[in-house]
Amino acid sequence: MDVFILFAMVIGLMLIGVPIAVSLGLSSILFMLALSDTSLAAVAASLYNGMAGHYTLLAIPFFVLASSFMSTGGVARRIIRFSIALVGHLPGGLAIAGVFACMMFAALSGSSPATVVAIGTIVIAGMRQVGYTRDFAAGVIAVAGTLGILIPPSIVMVVYASATDVSVGRMFLAGVIPGLLAGFMLMLTIYIMARVKNLPKGDWLGWGEVWSSGRDAGWGLMLIVIILGGIYGGIFTPTEAAAVAAVYAFLIACFVYRDMGPLARPEGERNLTLLDRPIALVTAFFHRDIRNTLFEAGKLTVTLMFIIANALILKHVLTDEQIPQQIAGAMLAAGFGPIMFLVIVNVILLIGGQFMEPSGLIVIVAPLVFPIAMELGIDPIHLGIIMVVNMEIGMITPPVGLNLFVTSGVAGMPMMRVVRAALPFLAVLFVFLILITYVPIISTWLPTLMMGPEILVR
Amino acid sequence: MSGPGRYEPRSMLGKVVHEFEETAIAVMLGAMTILTFVNVIMRYVFNSMVIWGLEVVLILFSWLVLFGIAYAFKVTANLGVDAIISVVSPRARYVLALLSAACCIVYALLIAKGAWDYWAPFAGLQQTTGHWFPTGFDPNTRDRAFFETDQVPMLEWLRWLEDAINQGESYSKMPRMVPYLILPVAAALMLFRIIQVTIRIVKGEQHSMIVSHEVEDALDEIAKTRRGQE
Repeated sequence: MDVFILFAMVIGLMLIGVPIAVSLGLSSILFMLALSDTSLAAVAASLYNGMAGHYTLLAIPFFVLASSFMSTGGVARRIIRFSIALVGHLPGGLAIAGVFACMMFAALSGSSPATVVAIGTIVIAGMRQVGYTRDFAAGVIAVAGTLGILIPPSIVMVVYASATDVSVGRMFLAGVIPGLLAGFMLMLTIYIMARVKNLPKGDWLGWGEVWSSGRDAGWGLMLIVIILGGIYGGIFTPTEAAAVAAVYAFLIACFVYRDMGPLARPEGERNLTLLDRPIALVTAFFHRDIRNTLFEAGKLTVTLMFIIANALILKHVLTDEQIPQQIAGAMLAAGFGPIMFLVIVNVILLIGGQFMEPSGLIVIVAPLVFPIAMELGIDPIHLGIIMVVNMEIGMITPPVGLNLFVTSGVAGMPMMRVVRAALPFLAVLFVFLILITYVPIISTWLPTLMMGPEILVR
Repeated sequence: MSGPGRYEPRSMLGKVVHEFEETAIAVMLGAMTILTFVNVIMRYVFNSMVIWGLEVVLILFSWLVLFGIAYAFKVTANLGVDAIISVVSPRARYVLALLSAACCIVYALLIAKGAWDYWAPFAGLQQTTGHWFPTGFDPNTRDRAFFETDQVPMLEWLRWLEDAINQGESYSKMPRMVPYLILPVAAALMLFRIIQVTIRIVKGEQHSMIVSHEVEDALDEIAKTRRGQE
């Protein structure tokens, strides 16, 4: 009973407009003070240790920073150019290229709304120019943008790994095949629609364009190679990989792409080279652009970690009161099997994913469902991927999916039209969710192959 | 949307503080990144490491987030759910905004008591008594001023702490009261900013304490350019 009051309070506070972090923290504190003799000092300590005691979560600020350096319009344009060169000539080419660009951008930035903003602003306008309807363009981007949290590196996966003590490396690997599969299913759907509706196709620009655009985009895409290669090559921990990626992204943005920093020149002028101004090697560190990028990444880190740190307080309350064990016991006693359980998880996350920032949601739900899943013999990595895919869908499920909202802003059309436009692709993602939920091998095959079978500690 | 638009400091002092807050956030994140990166390089190239590197990075991580919370309240950057407050009447929204501001104040007060109680023993000061509310100082607080961090070296200019709180005994590592100092500081700053926001809400200058997603600023920009084109 108590647990219902606790959750009702969290949700109630959120709905009246209290910040998510405060809703979580305040409810947990009141609950703790009322029911146990835990002191407020312990709460403050866990708020401090939410950051200082979680080495895994330390990867978050670094990933956010790396993606801030890469989230400039320049990088998005290069990726889109490369995608168009590769798949633009197919029927529905620009739409397929949009999905492909979202997939690549997702690998540079861990966030779905950011992917929609960066790719959407360019691709939606481009698609309208060559004759697609605005609705179709918005629908494609809204849905493809959600891949941001599934394709590694992904902040949500770091949070899941940290909340449940599974390996970040495994989670990242587990996201690769589902991410590619989801992207492929979306592209296939567009291809079929394009054949039926006779959508416009672009011209094949030749291998020369593929090569030169690929080389240009390659500097940015190397980031994924560094992160994944570094982690699986045993060179760095995921946290170190994130820090190295952030430094790499800074060097690329400043000295190779020169979209920002001392060598950047206003639109239309040729950027300076390092030979023109070698002092840039020093001034880059103090340049206003760099300070702003660091600050923006810092601000996003603050808002994410404020939620996560408070969700960790809630997690303490839940574990102290043995709540997951009670629920697990009740479910097993009621005769629920793994399938029914996964359906319930799906429903909870689909609803929660509409209202809440995914990483905050996962810190709350993961400790609740994880012990139950272990009892039922569900693979922890598989569970993680299911949760991530669920939240992707939550982001584009009406009435209040976050990505729908962001897309309606980017495309400049009412929310309800975006909802209708996204529906066919939403259906594809639902099929994908069912596939992921009931075919665990899609998620577990690659991590098991690369890192050996998992050792489960109960 | 319900956001107040971009926060602009008005007074001279406001501008200086704003600049300081943003720069501090940027510098802490930059320092964390560089320290971690340097330690990776040291390990592979020089086969050694900065032994206090990781601990300092984790302390900076805490400082960044705790310090940043007050800033996030100031500029209304905290994430929240606006599904309900964006559809109700302005009058109801005003009431809900005040109610949520009240919740934030209660939260900040509780955290402030907790932060003091946690930090005080490490600084040789007295905790407050009381389970919910501070009812006085506890003279029987167990002094923890001798607790040191694991690896962080002691800074020379902080040696005065030894006489002040550690009965003159020298610290071989940084005492814990230094990194933990951020807790009471951040709690006080948070309380201060929440009260400022509450006043803005009462005056009707701001309509809520939250933004619904992290790219609100970017969307505002896009909407602005679109209006410009039409």
